Amino acid sequence: MSELFTTASITLENLSKYFGSIKAVDDVNIQVEAGTLVCLLGPSGCGKTTTLRMIAGFEEPNQGKVFIGAEDVTNMPPYIRPTALVFQSYALFPHMSIYNNIAYGLRARRTAKDEIQQRVVEVVRIMELEGQEKKTPPQLSGGQQQRVALARALVIRPKVLLFDEPLSNLDAQLRVRMRTEIRDLQKQLGITSVYVTHDQEEAFSIADQVAIMNQGRLIQLGTPRELYRRPADSFVAQFVGLSNIVSVELVTADADGATIRVFGQTIRSRRPPRQSGQPVSAVLRPEALKLSSPNEAGVLVRVIDQSYIGPMIRYRVMTPDQTQVTVDVHNPSPEEFFDPGTAVSLHLPQEIPALLG
Amino acid sequence: MSSEVLRWPQQLSLSQRRNLGFAALVFVELLLLIYIGTRLVGVELVEVTDLTQVSGNVETVFMRREVVGDPPLLMLLVLGMFVPLASRRLRREPVLLVALQVAIIGLIVFVIWPLAQVFIEGFRAGQNVTGFSLVQFETLFAMPMVANATRNTMIIGVTTAVLATLIGTLIAYTLTLTDVPGKRWLRILTIIPLVSPPFAVSFAFILLFGRRGVITYDLLHITQYDIYGPHGIVLVQLISDIPLVILILSAVFASISRDLEEAAEDLGGRPLFILRTVTFPLVMPAILTAILLTFISSISDFGNPMLIGGGFQVLATQAFIQLIELFDLQLGAALSMILIIPALAAFLVQHLIVSRRSYVTVTSGARTGHVRRLPGWITWPLFGLTIFLAAFNLLLYSSIFVGALVRTWGFDFTPTLENLNGLINAMPMLRNSLIVSVGAGLLGGITGLLVAWLVTRQNYPGRGALDFTATIMYAIPGTVVGIGYIIAFNASPYFWTGTFFIIIVAYAYRRLPVGLRTGVAANKQLDPTLEEASLDLGASRARTFAQITFPLLNRAFFAGVIYIFIRSMTDLSSAVFLNSGRTQLFTVRMFRVMTTGTPSEAAAFAALLIVIILLALGILSKVSGKSFVDLFRVS
Repeated sequence: MSELFTTASITLENLSKYFGSIKAVDDVNIQVEAGTLVCLLGPSGCGKTTTLRMIAGFEEPNQGKVFIGAEDVTNMPPYIRPTALVFQSYALFPHMSIYNNIAYGLRARRTAKDEIQQRVVEVVRIMELEGQEKKTPPQLSGGQQQRVALARALVIRPKVLLFDEPLSNLDAQLRVRMRTEIRDLQKQLGITSVYVTHDQEEAFSIADQVAIMNQGRLIQLGTPRELYRRPADSFVAQFVGLSNIVSVELVTADADGATIRVFGQTIRSRRPPRQSGQPVSAVLRPEALKLSSPNEAGVLVRVIDQSYIGPMIRYRVMTPDQTQVTVDVHNPSPEEFFDPGTAVSLHLPQEIPALLG
Repeated sequence: MSSEVLRWPQQLSLSQRRNLGFAALVFVELLLLIYIGTRLVGVELVEVTDLTQVSGNVETVFMRREVVGDPPLLMLLVLGMFVPLASRRLRREPVLLVALQVAIIGLIVFVIWPLAQVFIEGFRAGQNVTGFSLVQFETLFAMPMVANATRNTMIIGVTTAVLATLIGTLIAYTLTLTDVPGKRWLRILTIIPLVSPPFAVSFAFILLFGRRGVITYDLLHITQYDIYGPHGIVLVQLISDIPLVILILSAVFASISRDLEEAAEDLGGRPLFILRTVTFPLVMPAILTAILLTFISSISDFGNPMLIGGGFQVLATQAFIQLIELFDLQLGAALSMILIIPALAAFLVQHLIVSRRSYVTVTSGARTGHVRRLPGWITWPLFGLTIFLAAFNLLLYSSIFVGALVRTWGFDFTPTLENLNGLINAMPMLRNSLIVSVGAGLLGGITGLLVAWLVTRQNYPGRGALDFTATIMYAIPGTVVGIGYIIAFNASPYFWTGTFFIIIVAYAYRRLPVGLRTGVAANKQLDPTLEEASLDLGASRARTFAQITFPLLNRAFFAGVIYIFIRSMTDLSSAVFLNSGRTQLFTVRMFRVMTTGTPSEAAAFAALLIVIILLALGILSKVSGKSFVDLFRVS
């Protein structure tokens, strides 16, 4: 089936959208390479859905342009754009059978009857919906409805597939299964996709690139690894689930990195701060920290509490300057069990990937 | 042993105490039933002349004991009281049980029984004769007038229903989903006929287009045109029924998930294709509902055909003539039955088929109601139609107010206040109307809330039947309600005719569906976990209803009261049968003035009534914080 798709890149150029005085989307530039999947990730109200709706053609940008491939589609109505959107609510037509739901886009394009039949059957097979064609949407389970929504989008062979929080109506287990399916299908078809979600884990697990948005602006675009290793600022760091963001004292900085002091210890950052003269902070990833019985080498801290999370213990400790730090101890040895209230030594890594700010 | 028997209630276990309470409840109910039974049914000695045993000139006369009163109703009451006891679940919850018994008995006495009486009377062989017979119908259809009236009623009903639904749907679409200017005012003006009695529209038409109408006679100098006749009836019914369609369809258009239309657009559907394949099929059930309801409204209409029919007879007017002018109760009942059958059929179709196919609530939480981008050649004619209706309504209603303030409409347009003098004599009738309408509002509001609570919050066998019975009056023409109440409660042991009581219960139960829908809507919004929390914290069901449920439903209750008040103030079709010299109602007086007095006198009546209703709506708007248009949403 993949050879039937002609996919195309998406380019968003200085895209802005205002609702009254509110800047819903503020000067966003994103390039989605053909065949890749980009997640728009951010808290609710960050402008990610509005951006998606501008790609689909439901919102007209106040400024900027949308390109699909080389074609400027900014002023093209949704029904002509080569995009297909999978809605959060699925938006399956309640008065039509599953077959008619899937065939809808082809009928709207006045495709020949035989071809409609053949293409619907094909997509039904791919989405494993055999036997459901005559049912109506309310008769299907959430996961099946999700497949129908996807089938309905795929059958029109769009150049671009768009997802608006497609899994938020499913339960946690199904969500994990469906996102794997979506990812497999997207790779198999090689179709350019934009996927909106507020779930960091979901975004990281399926995306080639993740665009983190906040208050209408694009904060950082990068691979999950880049975002995790080198978050652009503390918002990104927090959003991707990094908990220990501490302010540090900059000792020296050069092209190869920087020397910083944190909790009285001196360590290296592999990258210099992005801007000079700003207050600098750093992410201390919980799994990169270690605890031991009090000794000279570490920072003397007090254990606040501990919790068992599967194969690791998560400690919260308090440093002498009253900062709370989370430490994850994986596969703990007997010497690494500490009761709340005891004094322990916190060991920082010699080197951290980057600084914030 | 004796100490076992004489234990104090506190020492009893919970289940023992519950059983004791239940036994006491049943005992009290039995006493109540016996008391009612003695009032409802009696045994009398009746003098009987036996004609078969005539010997010479001496007739055998003897006394016989006969049951008098209303034994069938007593049987129904016994059933209504004891059938709920069969449910184990209800036996365990006395509050629910009593509430259900009260609701059921109310519905039996004031809904089922009067309607059944119409059927019983209609199928009787003759006066003072028992047994089933179709004689009435043979007599009826042998009369060309009746056959004509039946045909006329159906033709008018179908014409009005189809046209009103078509126009109303287009206007609802315009006002809900397009971005035409002035929607706020257009919304109010297009539904303004809801604030007046329907026959006021006829009256305004006559003022404007009648033989001495300002537009036809004074402005255009047309003398041949005659507004009286079937076309006149259809026109005025359109004006009074289109608002109903607008309300029903606006609600549905506004609730269509925007996602569905966007999905259609995203998949390549052009605007008209989407309208045909998505929007229209989704509102189809509502359109059918609107057709059926306007049909019922049209065939029940009594005032308009009377005023503007010009001798064109429909069933409602025929029933009035037979019953009130010719005192033929049976023929009146039989005519009512002809009227009730299509109305009930329409209601059953709506209730059992159409409402099941509603798609409106399929996707919860989806975004709804947004403006559609449509080509100008669609938008502008729609806008024109809307403006036309709004302007026409404005014209109709201003003519009433202007008419009230000139000397003699059609002849002498000198401004004057002297028409208001006529109103002074009508003050007792206005007082009567207010007493009846407030009473009906309160009774209907309370009953509506009670039944709404019973049908939404609780689960027990027969819940659907309860809902159905409480809703059925919606389909019953006002004329039939009036006739049914007369037949059912005219004679011994009631003698209720001519009292305020009969009008109040008739209005309350006739408009119960309104109170019920308001209550159901409020109940559905009410989070059931609030009640569960209260029960969980140890409050009884009674306390929970009084301290949690009722305060939260307060607004809905008040809205229900006002709606029923307005409906009762403007009713004519039941009123003409139920009121008496002592309890004459304002609308009846107004109707008489319209047929016999000068146009300006009558206009003053209509104007006063409209002002009162606007005041009531104003109060409701203040209390509920809703806009004028939203006030009508639930009704």
